[in-house]
Amino acid sequence: MLTAEDQMAIEQRLADFLNKSEAQWSALVDKGGNLFAQSGDTGTLDLSILSALAAGSFAATHELAKRLGESEFSALYHEGHGQHILMSALHHECLLVTIFGEKTNIGLVRFYAQQVTVSLNELLKGASEKEATAEPLQLEGNFLDNQATIT
Amino acid sequence: MAFINYSSREIQLKIVYYGAALCGKTTNLVTLHKQITHAQKGELVSLATDADRTLFFDFLSLNTKTLPGFTTRFQLYTVPGQAIYNTTRQLVLKGVDGIVFVVDSHWDKMADNVESFANLQENLIENHLSLVQIPYVLQYNKRDIPNAAPINYLEYTFNNRANRALAFEAVAATGVGVLETLNAAARLLLAKYSKTPNANVTGMSRPNPTVAVPPQSDSPQVGAGNVAA
Repeated sequence: MLTAEDQMAIEQRLADFLNKSEAQWSALVDKGGNLFAQSGDTGTLDLSILSALAAGSFAATHELAKRLGESEFSALYHEGHGQHILMSALHHECLLVTIFGEKTNIGLVRFYAQQVTVSLNELLKGASEKEATAEPLQLEGNFLDNQATIT
Repeated sequence: MAFINYSSREIQLKIVYYGAALCGKTTNLVTLHKQITHAQKGELVSLATDADRTLFFDFLSLNTKTLPGFTTRFQLYTVPGQAIYNTTRQLVLKGVDGIVFVVDSHWDKMADNVESFANLQENLIENHLSLVQIPYVLQYNKRDIPNAAPINYLEYTFNNRANRALAFEAVAATGVGVLETLNAAARLLLAKYSKTPNANVTGMSRPNPTVAVPPQSDSPQVGAGNVAA
């Protein structure tokens, strides 16, 4: 669960990170593939698909790490011709996914990614504590009848 | 686990289609992608082998307005059915909110179906979950094949618990029962957010009258409740 304040705070951190690292797009994604917050521009890319694939890719890597006796690979880097992607593990089952191009380099992006993961972890810890004591979301309506139908 | 974003008024829910190899999980998603016209849908992504067998998962995202004041984003995943991909199935189940278990109606596939259902339960435990917590529906697929097992047999084999699940007959390849199955799973998930839950709100505690499986007067489950009542 993210409140509007949590969302703004996370997006602010991501925007600062992009500014410093000169990366193109960055997002907070959970390991189930949900997109929590994002900053930057990916053009027409479908962000749901991007998040699902990033989470899947990281999950497979995590499993490889386990089999090698590592508790986790803390970061995962895919190098392309023009665009690259860096995924960094966060606490609370989350990931930081960053896309960057030729304007910057992996060293710089990784350096600032390590910095932003610390502050994102703090924010996630706060959000998780709030969630534990929050009232569950309840809305008017009986959603077992036909009023809520996907067509 | 469902993710609620109060800032963008969005709820994200993950539904996983589970079942034995070649039972029709991917076909369900392909058909949904074709059939759904009103909900805003994303591209259907398949991580498959050259022979079109699911290697990691298939993925389809649907944006709907099924909850007042919120956009509901359903993320539909399939798992690879082949036995060797068990680790992958565990990974795809991470963060699952609801399950559609697809049963292949072919007589020869009963052992595979049963094994897959047991495997689902084991893999949920690996993810610290269980079918008691996670709403699920059953889909008896391939009802058009000549040697399909009778419904009462399938009900007895897969739906013989104190808390009966909703069950649907389907022919995923032609679209029969596919949307009905998804809508039942979606409603079970959305019912969690209802201020006025009725007796069916968990979807598991009592049979639901909307179920598509016909009454089975000779069903061995007399006393456990009739799913088609």
